[in-house]
Amino acid sequence: MGALKLCFVVQRPPYKSENPRLALTHSISSQTAEIHLEDGETVVPTLIFVGDGVLNATKNQQAMKLYGVTSTESHIKNGLLIDMPIWVCKEDMERLGLKEDQMIADAEDMGADLKTKFVSFAEIQKEIEACPHLLFF
Amino acid sequence: MKLAVFLSDLRRTEDTYDRLKADKLGVILVENGVYHAVLKEGGKDSPILSKAGANFYVLSDDLETRGFTAAQVNSKVKVVSYGDIVDLIMNDYEKTAWL
Repeated sequence: MGALKLCFVVQRPPYKSENPRLALTHSISSQTAEIHLEDGETVVPTLIFVGDGVLNATKNQQAMKLYGVTSTESHIKNGLLIDMPIWVCKEDMERLGLKEDQMIADAEDMGADLKTKFVSFAEIQKEIEACPHLLFF
Repeated sequence: MKLAVFLSDLRRTEDTYDRLKADKLGVILVENGVYHAVLKEGGKDSPILSKAGANFYVLSDDLETRGFTAAQVNSKVKVVSYGDIVDLIMNDYEKTAWL
């Protein structure tokens, strides 16, 4: 009985490869694994963007308008909508010259209550240490 | 040689680009290569943009797909459309390469 924590850590930029998108879709769908667990056990995913992966979390992505594909932004907002914690590494944002107002901070337009957390790598390290299952993308 | 080079990645593992020489060199930033036009890693322009004598272009569709606008593009880089790239290939350069 209890919570099964999963950390999905995205370290690559979006679109060029399917890899970061898989992290998003897998993390969103990971809760469906509960059907294979004992009663009362839950899956608790956290989606973390580090390194060049923070580029996934820029806002105003126009992938649907220009290429007809769902944007990484829409996947992240869907994650917030299902109350999945989404963390973005502050140091990596600063390194790449990205400010918080350029990033997806929430999904209020979709009715989500949860907001993106911009955190230090030290906090991410703690989360990784507390998480028994790590998946790097 | 008039050469147009497409760059489609943020990180590079080869040094071909650094060694390339051409009488006229155009560098067309597409896909994840567009980040070179907008990011200032460590507060500095991308080293890609330091190639002497080169003309730099960035594809607007790939830029906007990733959440950036023409207003954020480095002044060394010209924002172009797919049609503009076709014109560049047909009118301004003899060869193209994809790195």
